[in-house]
Amino acid sequence: MTRRKSVDTKLIRELAELLEDTGLSELEIEQDGLRIKVARNFSTGVQSVVTHPLPPASPGTSSGKQEESAGTENAVTSPMVGTVYRSPEPGAKPFIEVGAKVMEGQTCLIVEAMKTMNPIPAPHAGTVIAILVEDGSPVEFGEPLFILE
Amino acid sequence: MFDKVLIANRGEIALRIQRACHEMGIATVAVHSTADENAMHVRLADESVCIGPPQAALSYLNIPALIAACEITNADAVHPGYGFMSENAGFAEILSEHDITFIGPSPEHINIMGDKIIAKDTVRKLGIPVVPGSDGAINDGAEALKIAEEIGYPVLVKAAHGGGSKGMKIATSAADLHDAMATARAEAMASFGNDTLYMEKYLSLPRHIEIQVLGDGFGNAVHLGERDCSLQRRHQKVWEEAFSPALNTGQRRKIGDIVANAMADMKYSGVGTVEFLYENGEFYFIEMNTRLQVEHPVTEMITGLDLVQQQIRIAAGAELGFDQDDITFNGHAIEVRINAENPRTFVPSPGKIEAYHAPGGLGVRVDSGVYAGYRIPPYYDSLIGKLIVHGKNRTDALMRLRRALGEYVIDGIETTVPLYLDLLGNPDIIDGNYDIHWLEKHLA
Repeated sequence: MTRRKSVDTKLIRELAELLEDTGLSELEIEQDGLRIKVARNFSTGVQSVVTHPLPPASPGTSSGKQEESAGTENAVTSPMVGTVYRSPEPGAKPFIEVGAKVMEGQTCLIVEAMKTMNPIPAPHAGTVIAILVEDGSPVEFGEPLFILE
Repeated sequence: MFDKVLIANRGEIALRIQRACHEMGIATVAVHSTADENAMHVRLADESVCIGPPQAALSYLNIPALIAACEITNADAVHPGYGFMSENAGFAEILSEHDITFIGPSPEHINIMGDKIIAKDTVRKLGIPVVPGSDGAINDGAEALKIAEEIGYPVLVKAAHGGGSKGMKIATSAADLHDAMATARAEAMASFGNDTLYMEKYLSLPRHIEIQVLGDGFGNAVHLGERDCSLQRRHQKVWEEAFSPALNTGQRRKIGDIVANAMADMKYSGVGTVEFLYENGEFYFIEMNTRLQVEHPVTEMITGLDLVQQQIRIAAGAELGFDQDDITFNGHAIEVRINAENPRTFVPSPGKIEAYHAPGGLGVRVDSGVYAGYRIPPYYDSLIGKLIVHGKNRTDALMRLRRALGEYVIDGIETTVPLYLDLLGNPDIIDGNYDIHWLEKHLA
């Protein structure tokens, strides 16, 4: 989902460079209610994950989209619009954490819409290597939710 | 006034709504299918939510997805545009249950006008002229003659349980009425197993003339003049103008007042269009569309009113604030629909627009969301934009339309622009001398 507030792309580039220079694997900053996390990919280069996405690319360029999708190719995506929850109910333990091994069909997240809870199952058995959404955040159709190896 | 409006549509009309909202300081949410991620209005909206895959049933017609999108964005109103959910009373009701305003008329009025028989009955009681008919089955030859005399020849004898063109026969005078009925009856029996007949006045060369109305739901309503939409291909309008070349001021005022009074009596809320077939000075009601129409810009050009902003104002509870005397009409406007189709065969032409340059200048308006590099998705209708011109009079408008079409560049796909350049060279079009069959005959 996109919100059209202006995002400091210069800052993101600076953070990415900082990551390279310092050899850190992950860098997260919070500023004026905006939280940005830059993390090093396993394979090559730096992958940036932002809580507020970049402004729209102008026609013809797709660099923004490529960076975003680099780490989310194999993500399990949301089949619907709604609010995603990591636990079966508030206060309960989350269905999955990073590193968890799940079986095919096991509930990993819930997406709620119009007061109905819809379980998001694991499409195959595997290990959760990343969770891309925050508990209680809105998600749109096709939004990457988590990555299963 | 609303803080945030969710635009439940796509293409050029979604952009139209987006523009109206932003001019009013209202935040917008653009919902879209995966195929419309790069749509112009999605890029301009304050927020966007992807609600489903390309198929309309799973996205733009997906009520749970639309409601969920309203929930997660806290939209307080939904503008349905035209098509899709715009005349879905059930959707309007569900929105109401969720305390979200549907920008449009009441579910009750949507339902009344959605049923063609109830619509005709309702408007007739409100004083709007309808196609004269037998009001039921005709039982014998004597009754038939009597009704035909009342209606006036030519008449159409129709199978009550029929469809298509079977069981329909024209009688041009009392002399051939008997034979027409016998043939119709036999055909009806053979095709539908039922030979019940009824009768309607036959209109051979009618024009399609529609009246734009605006009501506030409190019993105030005005008409905003007519549009002539006779130029159609397969019942799709391609060229619309305000005013109609066929009407004079007196006729316009008369039918306008009848329609406005009917809408005031109904306490109709929002915009609507009452469509008529017009022949020999008489109007015959066909149907009413309880929504914004594609061709609304020509009315905006001659009245200076922003119809989408009026819709939003009224849906937010405002009174009309003006009456019929406050409406002034200026000049003449023509709209042509730019479709991504071959201009001769009308085969759809989706694909990537390589170069795009829209015409400009005084009195030229382009309502379109396409741009150079935009890829037209193959999943939806072929309308990619509307070119509207306004001139001091019809001749000026025609000259301006020809000039504007000559400037329009849309490379990479085929469009219907050449069709309109062709029409502009035709004497009947120049004279305004056409009816609802004219274009099909011209294309044949």
